[in-house]
Amino acid sequence: MEFAPPKSLLELYLGFLSIGARSFGGVLPWAHRVMVEEKRWIAPADFAEVLALCQFLPGPNVGNVSVVLGRRWFGLRGAVVAFLGLMALPLVWVFGLALLYADFSSNPAVRAVVMGVGVAGGGLFVGTALKLARPLARKPWGVALAVGCFGVIALGRVSLFAVLPIAALLGWIAARRGLI
Amino acid sequence: MLQIAIYFMLLSLVSVGGIPSVMPEMQRLVVDVQGWMSAAEFTQLFAIAQAAPGPNVLVTALIGWKVAGLAGGMVALAAFCAPAAALAYSIGGFWDRMRDAPWRKDFQRALVPITVGFIVSGGYVLATPQGPDWPSALIAVASAAALYATRLNPLWILSGGGVLGAALF
Repeated sequence: MEFAPPKSLLELYLGFLSIGARSFGGVLPWAHRVMVEEKRWIAPADFAEVLALCQFLPGPNVGNVSVVLGRRWFGLRGAVVAFLGLMALPLVWVFGLALLYADFSSNPAVRAVVMGVGVAGGGLFVGTALKLARPLARKPWGVALAVGCFGVIALGRVSLFAVLPIAALLGWIAARRGLI
Repeated sequence: MLQIAIYFMLLSLVSVGGIPSVMPEMQRLVVDVQGWMSAAEFTQLFAIAQAAPGPNVLVTALIGWKVAGLAGGMVALAAFCAPAAALAYSIGGFWDRMRDAPWRKDFQRALVPITVGFIVSGGYVLATPQGPDWPSALIAVASAAALYATRLNPLWILSGGGVLGAALF
């Protein structure tokens, strides 16, 4: 099974356009399907490596994937083209939805549905965090750090910029001592 | 608009784990500090971004749009994406070379609990725009459990949240 990078910027753009257009409910599965399974641009293990890096970097994960791979294949132009392809259609969609909602937001039934979706979206964050937290299961110091961050930020409403340096220092010490 | 641009650029650089990690800070700024919108409106914008395809970073465009119109939306999105993208652009090769360096593994392990704490905070502030109440808790817990324990497409879970919202709110 051969994997070959896209041959032109247009092919790159259209590929990312189709990822963006279809990615209801999460971009990552579609990025994998299009680039690894359909277009066969990149091998699965290679994709996993790139993704691991991009999840660690700040910024939107799949946005970072588009930048890193676009750069690898076509340099700066590739990075810009891939990123714009990914964002173009979803951006149109989201503004369209927002305009539509602006017309109906005074309707209590519509508001209730949208609030329900938003609250469920908050729940999805919690579910995602639980999946991420699996490696912490037997690491009380890791759990304590996570709970501490939650208490200070969500309940105490302290700024992230104040919490992050302290939490990072504590995490670093714990990791060096093999506690996390 | 300048204010939102600068703030989002700073947030971009600390958004390890993506948008969910900085959601609590974004909400704190937009709702508590600046008073640009209510907590309920913030959750609604987030819902709209979730209901569209594409990365959830689009919520930054909606926040900018609400605060400063369409141009504000584009500026906010660009401000949030550009610094992180520049970092991704420049660091890719370096990071691959460091694959087996011990400090890299320590660093990655250290970030796990922090990211978890931040993301749960993001979920909490989104799910409790009016302070904790039973209907919100029910919807949020159900959706967290569904995501954790099943392989359902999140879109179905969000739809379920909409149905429950119509029934409970």
